[in-house]
Amino acid sequence: MPYTPRKPSVLSRLPWWLMAILLLFVLGYWGIATDATYSQIFRTVSGGLQTTLWVTLVAFVSATVLGLLVALARTSGNRILVELATFYVEIIRGIPVLVFLFYVAFVGAPAMVGAVNWLLQPTGQSITVRQFDFAWRAIVALTVCYSAFIAEIFRAGIEAVTRGQLEAASALGLSRWQRFRHITFPQALRTILPPLGNDFVSMIKDSALVSALGVQDITQLGKVYSSGSFRFFETYNVVALLYLSLTISLSLLVRLLERYLDQSKR
Amino acid sequence: MSNFLVRAAAVVATLALAIPSAQAQGLPDLAGREIVAVTENAYVPLNFADPKTGEGIGLEYDLFNEIAKRLNAKVKWELSSWDVMIQSVRDGQFEVGMDGITINDERKAQVDFSDSYLTSQQLMLVRADETRFTDAPSFAADANLLVGAQAGTTNFYVAVYDVLDGDEANPRIKLFDTFGASVQALMAGDIDTVLMDQTSADGYIGANPGAFKVVGTPLGTEDFGFILTPGSDLTAPINAALAAIKADGTLDALKTKWFYDYNAAQ
Repeated sequence: MPYTPRKPSVLSRLPWWLMAILLLFVLGYWGIATDATYSQIFRTVSGGLQTTLWVTLVAFVSATVLGLLVALARTSGNRILVELATFYVEIIRGIPVLVFLFYVAFVGAPAMVGAVNWLLQPTGQSITVRQFDFAWRAIVALTVCYSAFIAEIFRAGIEAVTRGQLEAASALGLSRWQRFRHITFPQALRTILPPLGNDFVSMIKDSALVSALGVQDITQLGKVYSSGSFRFFETYNVVALLYLSLTISLSLLVRLLERYLDQSKR
Repeated sequence: MSNFLVRAAAVVATLALAIPSAQAQGLPDLAGREIVAVTENAYVPLNFADPKTGEGIGLEYDLFNEIAKRLNAKVKWELSSWDVMIQSVRDGQFEVGMDGITINDERKAQVDFSDSYLTSQQLMLVRADETRFTDAPSFAADANLLVGAQAGTTNFYVAVYDVLDGDEANPRIKLFDTFGASVQALMAGDIDTVLMDQTSADGYIGANPGAFKVVGTPLGTEDFGFILTPGSDLTAPINAALAAIKADGTLDALKTKWFYDYNAAQ
């Protein structure tokens, strides 16, 4: 009898971990919809969703731009730029985000205000420390911290493009910019995008550190709500569910992106 | 005749209302100045978010709004975390800070203090089945018993100086980031008591039926004051208004409202 491989059933191909997560979400949101305590917590704490997303988005976009610049400096071949960029990456990567946040808030911010006032001197205008609010200081701190990691992601992507291709391109007479634009960048992007997406997911979680300054994000509102209502455990259940809703849906998007990039490679 | 009576009543009422105004009491007139005040909303019943509305409420809100009203000033309320409050008031980010802040010499070196508006009374919250101690001396006598506190807060200082031996590094004090976290540790059995005022104790007992009880008599003589940016011109006016508020019974009425009448567990 000829051997015919059995077709894998739909059930056996189902990602069970994903089903379990979906079940968790259904149970969690069901609880929020039906239980008065949980729905009250959700209404209050979800007020921080906008702040969490806004802080994360602004900081991530700025960190990506800054990270790209640092990576370009680090792969430029110019000795001074390489040394400066490496110094920056090593120092920033070696400091915990929370510690750096306090530096930016209380050492960096007054210094920045001083610098702006020095620049504004000829115009006769000036700003005060008070106009530089905590949310923006937190954004600056997250931007700088993440730019160091993102720079390394970009560098890995750029260096993964084989030397032979660049030599061929320059033999064909492409300029430095053309080589980057048409040869290096499109290929590097494929290596860069998935880890960049993962960094976005981890920045959503690290944005919780802004609560250390009292910025009214999901975490701070959870802290405030739990102390006012004496419901610690219930409050953090809702806080965790909100973060999971953000991070898991984004992780799934990153997976789809990876799959798409893999296919287009073939 | 009745017309005359109405008019007379109106005149009397106007006079009565006019008496507590700034000029009549000889208080400074700040001419509508805006005072930037900061708190955290995580300290029931002094400053916290109303679990129903999310609005900041509490004794400190009422008291400082009353002070500002008598000085003909407006309050701009801001939020920060307790961790950074003293530093940011010192930097001038905010003009006045309040969060049940104990007046002591270390802090006087950092910021200016107003006169005290409250002397805290701390109770020992314990698990409902606790039988090993019944008050502060019997707690102190048993070296196995642990107390949870937040570093640099009232309950920490009372634990050190009124319950234990005056050693701030005593290993019997376990430090936590928030009140809520130390109460969770109490429930889990990591520690054996948490010190808190009557309102908070009632709140936790109400929110966790059958889990906690209060033992012993009220402890502590921690005096709370407003903190101000060093050299602030607001210290004297605030003290003057505070003295008037104490003298006419308004402060006592606020204490009754927030420490006895407010039901935090509802």
